[in-house]
Amino acid sequence: MVTFTIDNRTIQAPDGSNLLDVARRNGIAIPGLCYHHKLTPTGACRLCLVKVEGMNGLIASCTVKVAEGMVVTAFDPELEETRRFLLNYLLYEHNDSYDGTYSDEMRELIFRYGLDKPENRYLKPNWEKINFKKDDSSPVLTYDPSKCIKCFRCIKACDEVQGKNVLSFTERGINSFIIAGTGIWGGSECDGCGECIQLCPTGAIVEKPNRDIINLERIEKKIITTCPYCGVGCQIELLVQDGRIVRSNGVEGVSPNDGRLCIKGRFGYEFVHSPDRLTKPLIKHNGLFEEVTWDEAFDLIAKKFTEIKNKYGPNALAGYASAKCTNEDNYLFQKFVRTAFGTNNIDYCTRLCHASTVTAMLKAIGDGAGSNPIEDFETTDCLFVIGNNIIETHPITATYVKRGAAKGQKIIVVDPKWTPLVPYATVWLQPKLGTDVALLNGLVNIIIKNGWINRKFIEERVEGGMEAFNRLEKLTATYSSAYASEITGVQASKLEMAARLFATSPTSMIATGMGMSQQVTGTHNVFCLINMMLITGQVGREKCGINPPRGQNNVQGATDVGCSPLNFPGYIPVKDDDNRRRVAEVWGVPYESLSPEPGLTTVEIMQAAYEGRIKGIFIMGENPMISDPNLNHTEEALKRMEFVVVQDIFQTETTRFADVILPASTWAEKEGTYVNSDRRVLRGRKAVECPGEARVDWKIIHELAGRMGKPMPEYRNESEIFDELARVTPILAGISYARLEQGSIQWPCPDKDHPGTQTLYLDRFNTPTGRGKLFPVEYIPQNEKADADYPLILNSGRLLYHYHTATMSRRTKVLRDFIDESFVLIHPGDAKSYGLTHGARVRIESRRGELETIVRISDDVREGEVFMPWHFTESQVNRLTRDELDPYSRIAPFKLSAVRITKI
Amino acid sequence: MISEKRIILRNSGVINPQSIEEYIDAGGYKSLSSAFASTPEKVVEEVMASGLRGRGGAGFPTGIKKQAAADRDTGKISYVVCNADEGEPGTFKDRIIMETNPHLLIEGMIIAGYSISAKLGYIYIRGEYYDSVRRLQHAIHQAYARGYLGNDILGSGFSFDLEIKPGAGSYLCGEELTLLESLEGKRGYPRIKPPFPTEKGFWDKPTLVNNVETLANLPGIIGHGSSWFRSSGTEKTPGTKLFSVCGDVKKPGCYETDAGVILNDLINDLAGGTSNGKPWKAVLLGGAAGTFVPYSFSGLSLCYERLKEQGATLGSGAVIVIGNERKLIPLMQSILMFFRHESCGKCVPCRVGTTYIHERSLEIPAAGNEARISILEEIVNHARQMAKSSLCPLGQSPILPLGTLQIHFTEMIATE
Amino acid sequence: MDQQEIIAGFSPDKTNLLAMLHALQDNHPQNYLTEESLRAAASHLRVNLSWVYGVAGYYSMFSLQPRGRFIIRICNSPVCNMMGSSGLIDVLGSILGIGAGETTPDGLFTVEQVECLGICDVAPAMMVNRKVYGNLTRKSLEAIIDELRILQNKPE
Repeated sequence: MVTFTIDNRTIQAPDGSNLLDVARRNGIAIPGLCYHHKLTPTGACRLCLVKVEGMNGLIASCTVKVAEGMVVTAFDPELEETRRFLLNYLLYEHNDSYDGTYSDEMRELIFRYGLDKPENRYLKPNWEKINFKKDDSSPVLTYDPSKCIKCFRCIKACDEVQGKNVLSFTERGINSFIIAGTGIWGGSECDGCGECIQLCPTGAIVEKPNRDIINLERIEKKIITTCPYCGVGCQIELLVQDGRIVRSNGVEGVSPNDGRLCIKGRFGYEFVHSPDRLTKPLIKHNGLFEEVTWDEAFDLIAKKFTEIKNKYGPNALAGYASAKCTNEDNYLFQKFVRTAFGTNNIDYCTRLCHASTVTAMLKAIGDGAGSNPIEDFETTDCLFVIGNNIIETHPITATYVKRGAAKGQKIIVVDPKWTPLVPYATVWLQPKLGTDVALLNGLVNIIIKNGWINRKFIEERVEGGMEAFNRLEKLTATYSSAYASEITGVQASKLEMAARLFATSPTSMIATGMGMSQQVTGTHNVFCLINMMLITGQVGREKCGINPPRGQNNVQGATDVGCSPLNFPGYIPVKDDDNRRRVAEVWGVPYESLSPEPGLTTVEIMQAAYEGRIKGIFIMGENPMISDPNLNHTEEALKRMEFVVVQDIFQTETTRFADVILPASTWAEKEGTYVNSDRRVLRGRKAVECPGEARVDWKIIHELAGRMGKPMPEYRNESEIFDELARVTPILAGISYARLEQGSIQWPCPDKDHPGTQTLYLDRFNTPTGRGKLFPVEYIPQNEKADADYPLILNSGRLLYHYHTATMSRRTKVLRDFIDESFVLIHPGDAKSYGLTHGARVRIESRRGELETIVRISDDVREGEVFMPWHFTESQVNRLTRDELDPYSRIAPFKLSAVRITKI
Repeated sequence: MISEKRIILRNSGVINPQSIEEYIDAGGYKSLSSAFASTPEKVVEEVMASGLRGRGGAGFPTGIKKQAAADRDTGKISYVVCNADEGEPGTFKDRIIMETNPHLLIEGMIIAGYSISAKLGYIYIRGEYYDSVRRLQHAIHQAYARGYLGNDILGSGFSFDLEIKPGAGSYLCGEELTLLESLEGKRGYPRIKPPFPTEKGFWDKPTLVNNVETLANLPGIIGHGSSWFRSSGTEKTPGTKLFSVCGDVKKPGCYETDAGVILNDLINDLAGGTSNGKPWKAVLLGGAAGTFVPYSFSGLSLCYERLKEQGATLGSGAVIVIGNERKLIPLMQSILMFFRHESCGKCVPCRVGTTYIHERSLEIPAAGNEARISILEEIVNHARQMAKSSLCPLGQSPILPLGTLQIHFTEMIATE
Repeated sequence: MDQQEIIAGFSPDKTNLLAMLHALQDNHPQNYLTEESLRAAASHLRVNLSWVYGVAGYYSMFSLQPRGRFIIRICNSPVCNMMGSSGLIDVLGSILGIGAGETTPDGLFTVEQVECLGICDVAPAMMVNRKVYGNLTRKSLEAIIDELRILQNKPE
C-alpha cells in the first residue's frame, strides 16, 4: 500500500495501481472516455489529464501508476479549461445527436461541462464535412463513424477482453475510422459477441436487434440472471420494456464472465417472445393435437401413468429431466419420478455428453465435476485441450484461454478436426478418430521414459503408490512414440513435445470435451487422461487438474440434484441405505417406497421402450428426436410406448410423438438456480411472465405429483425448494438463496459458514481412500470401421451460433443470419476422389440411416474423415449415428460413424 | 570563412560506397576490433564520456540511453534499432550517410549491439529511400561475407544480425516508440511514454533506438576515444553535426561542421549564401517541428544549449532558408497541412487540432490586417493547448513554428 | 511473380508486413494492393484481415485503389512547396489532364501529392516510382513525362 494525495485528500491504494482507477474508486470523478478498467490504458482522449508534482506538464492519469508520496492535482481551473477545450474538439468531429437507445458517457460529460448549451461551444461542428459512411452490414450491430471518438475501446474489447482482435482503424488522423475485415463488418471475422458494443462510450457501435423499440427511459426493470445457453454460466442483465426482453448486457465485475458474453448470451433471447411458444396444454386426439384445459391434461396424465404403473409395475415408467431447467425444477422432477413413479428410471442428456467423463472421474478421483475455477484457464502455465472445440462451445471460457495465450501460456490442442483454438496453440495433435487411448498411452509412455513423473505425488496420493504405477508403466510400455504415432497418425515429435509441455510445465490443466467422451471408449479415454495427470502430479494444486466444460447451462446442476438413475442428490448411490433413509425422512415418504435398484440410462430407456419394457415416459425440456443416437430406432421406441408426455416451450421433433404436450417456461420466466462448469451455484431470476397459460416447470410437476396421490409440500417459493434440496444434497448443504444474493458459491459447500471450494483435490481425492486411482487400459480398435461400402468416418459437433437441437437458437434472427444451414466438411482430397464440389448437395448414408446436406470443402478435417454439425433438423446427423454404448457409462459414440457420400 | 569538418562524411564522395574494400582501406571496421578488445561496459562508458547527444532531434544524451538498455539486459533479448525514418521536412542528412557511407552505419550498429549485448539489430528506413535501402542492403551482404556480421564476429564470440525494415510513408514513425509499433507490423500509433524503449521496446523487450547520425558517430568515438570526439563542437554538444541546408541558398546540401557553428557562416560560407544575395527573411531551424528565427539571429551558434536559451531548436539539423521575397503565410499553411496529414489520429488534441488550425490558417489571406493577427493568435492558442495535452511529440510540435512566427513575424503576416 | 510466391518469401513474422505489402504492391501492374493480396498476407501472418487492411490504410505509400504504371509523387512538403511544387501540379494537370490523386485514362500515370521525400537539396522535387527527379521546372517536367511515355513499353 502507498499513501499519496489527490487535491489534498490523502488516499491509500496498492502500490502500482492505476491512478485514474484509484481516484474514481475514491469518488474523485476525473473525466475520461478512452479508459476502461478491463482494458490497458490508451491515453487517447486526454480528458483525464492531471498534474503530478515533479513531473513535467500535464499527465494522463490513466497512464500513471500511484506511488508513495505522490502529490496529484486533479481539479484546478487550468485542468478544467483543458478538459473543456478537449470536449469542444470532440464536438468538432462528433455527431452528438442522441436517440435514447444506448448509454452515452460522452453526453454525460457534455452536460457536466455545460456544453449542451450552444453558446458554450466555441467551434462550429465540422463532422458533416468528413466523408464518413455507416457500416450497417453486420447482423448484430451498426457502426456510425460520425459518432465515433476513436477511443480504441472497441478494438481493445475485441482484442484484450475477447482475444479475437478482429477490429482495427483504417485511414489516419481525423479521417480514421473503425473497420472489421476490409471495412465491411458483415462477412468479416467478427463473430458477433458484441463486447465492442458494451464498451463503446458514445453509441458509435450500437445493437441492431430492437433498435427501433428500445428506449432507455422506458425500461421497466433490469434483471440480473444467468445465461440460458452453455455451461459457463455467464451473468447477464436483461432489460425489460413493455413486458419484453429488449437487451442483454454482460454483468461487469462478477464471476464467471466479468461482463463478457458471446453472441448467444447477448442476442439469443429472442426465442422467449417467439410466436411459436406453446401457450396451452395439448392432447392428441386421432392424431391431431387439441387445446385443452390444464385440468383435463393433468387428469389424463395422472390417469394414464397410474394405469401403466399398476399394470406393468413402476419400472415401466421413466422420466427425462432437463439440463436447461433449474435445480429446483430438476430436483422436484427426480423426486417425482422416484416417489410418484416409484422408479430410478431417470436420466437426461448428460448421458449423451459427459457421462463417460463423470463415470471415469467418479471412479478415479471421486468427483464428477471440473476441478478448477474458470480463471485458471488464463493463469495455468500449460493447458491441454482435448476433443474440445472450446472457442465455439464455451466461448467465454475460451476468452480466458486466449488471454492466457497472449501472455505466453502453452496450449496443446488434440483434435482430429481443426478448431479456432489451433492458431493459439503451441502444438496441435491431429489424431485419427477413435485412437485417443493409443495417443494418451503414448504420451504416458514418453513421460515415463523421460523421467517426467512425479514420484512423490504418486507415492503420497495415488492408491497403490509405485506398485500401481508399475502396472501402468508395464501396460503402456508397448505404446512407444513410434507405435502411438503409427496408430494415431500424429508425428512422434509432436507427441513428445506435448508430453514434455504437459509434464514439465509448473502447472498444467486438462480441458476435455465431447471428442473424448462421446465414444464407445469414452470412459477409457478419460481414465487415460487421469492416468497422465496423476503420474505427473498435475492435480492437487491450484491451476492443475481436469475440467470437462459442461454443455448446457444446468447439465452440472441436474446431476448434482439427483437426475441420475444411479445416484440420489449429491452423487450418493441409490443403493446407499442410510442415505435413502435420510432422504425418505426429508421427503416424508416410507423408506421402502424408494427403490434401491439402479434405473436405466437415457439410451437404455429408449432401447427398453423399443423392446416393450418401458411403456410410459415423462419428458421435461428434452428433444431426444434430435439429440439421441440412432434416431430411426428412437422414433420407433417413442411410437411403441403407450403414453408419452412432453413438457416444453416449443413444439419439437419429439412432441410429434407425445400424447400430451404441456406448455412450460423459459429461463427468463422463473426464479431458480443453476450450476455451471466450475461448480458455481448461480441465481436465475424472473424477468418476464410466461406467455398464455404456460406454467413454470416445477409447478407443473408439483401439481402432477398431487394428482398421482404423492403430494409434495406446499413450497411458497423456489427458495424453499432449494432449502429442501440443500438438506438432501450434502455438497450444497451450506448454500441458500440469501447467501447467493451476495454472489455465487462453488460446491462443495457443506455448511453455511463454508466459503465454497475453488479448487478440488487440494488435500485429498474424494474417493473412499482419499487417493486417486490409476486405471491402465489398452487401446481397442473400433468396431465401426470404414469399408468399401461406407468409406468415410463421420465426426459430429457443434457451432458457435447454434445450440444443441436449435429449438432456441434458430428462433433468434441474428443467429440464423450467421448460419442457418447444415453442411458437411470434407477434405479437398476426398472431394476430388468422390467428384464433389463446394456447395454441392449430397446424400450421406450410414448403416443406420441417411440424410441430405451441402458440401463444404475444407482441410479442417483429415483425409478420410468428414464432419457435420448436428443442430439442423433438416439434416439429422443422429439418423446416422450408432447406439452401441460405452459399457461403463452407457454413452453413445456420436463422434464416429462410417458413412458414404453421394452426389444428388 | 569557415569550412567543413568531415568526420562522418569523411568517405563521402571519396570512396565507392558499394565497396567494403575501399571502406576498410580507409580505416573502416577498425573501431570494431577496438570495441571487441574492450568490454561492453567500457564501450558504454566511453560513449557516455564522449557526451554524444542523439542526433535525431530530441538531443537526448546517447550514453544514457545505452546505459539504460544495458541495465535492463538481464539475459533477456534486447535489440538495437536504427531510426532511419528521416521524415522531418528539410532534413536529408541520414540519407546522405546511408547512400555515401553505408558501412559506417553498419559498424556503428555492431558497436552499439556489442555494448548492450544485443543479438539483433534493425535499420528502419523510410519507404521512400529506395537508394538508401539498396546501398545498405548491398553493404550488409558484404559485411556478412567478410564476417563483420553473423556468428562470432572476428572471433570475438559476439554474434550480431542486422536487418533492414522499410517504412511506408508516415512521418510519425520517426518517433521512436511509434517506429517500434511500425516495426512490429502495426499502424503507426505512438505508445504511452514511459516506459521508454530501453525498458520496454521492440516486442516489449529492452531496445536501444538511435538515429543514423548518432550511430555513425560511434566508430569515431570508439576508434579515437572520447576526448578526441570532444575536441569538436561545444562543451554540451560535442562532436560535429550534419546540417541539411536548403531553400533559398545557392548551394543547398548536407554540410558537416563543428556543432555550434554560427548560422550565417553555415549559410554564407558553406551553402554559398542566399539565392539572390540579399539578407534572408527567416530561417526555419529543425524542420516543420522546428522554430523560425529572424535575421537578427544570424549570429547564433547552432548547438542545443545556445538555441534553447533563445527559444529556438536545432532539431534534426535542418536549416531552411527563406529568402527576402518569400511569403510566410503559404509556408505556414504548408507546415500546418503537413501536420494535419501526418497526425495519426490517436489522441484528440492532435487529431482535431491539426485539422482545425490548418483550416483556420486558410482563412488568413482573405482576412484584413487586424483579423489576421487575431486568427494567428487563435491558432497559436490552440497550438499551445495541443502542446499541453497531446500524447506524443507530433501534437506538441506545431507550437514551435507557430509560436516563433508569432513572436518574430506577426507584423509581416498581417501585411504580406 | 505469383502473389503466393512473394508471400512465401517472407517468414510468417509480423515485422515483415510492411515489406511484404511493398512487394505485393510493386508486383501488381496497377501498383496497388488488391483485397485478395491482403487476405493472403493476413493468412500468412495469421492475423485478422482488418490488421492488414488497417496497416495498408495507414501508410501513405500503400494504395487500395488501382493506380497507373508510373506513380508521380510530387513532394509537397514546406520546402518544396516554397520552391514551387504547387505549380508543378498545375503543369502536370495541363500535360496529363489529371489532378493529384488521379490516374490517366490510359492507366499510365498517377499523380500524387506527398509529404517530404527527403530530397530538399534539389527542391522542388518528385519521385517517379523509385527514381528521384529534382530542381524541377515546367520544361524539365515536360521532358521527363515525354521520356516516360517512351519508356512505357520497356520494363523498369
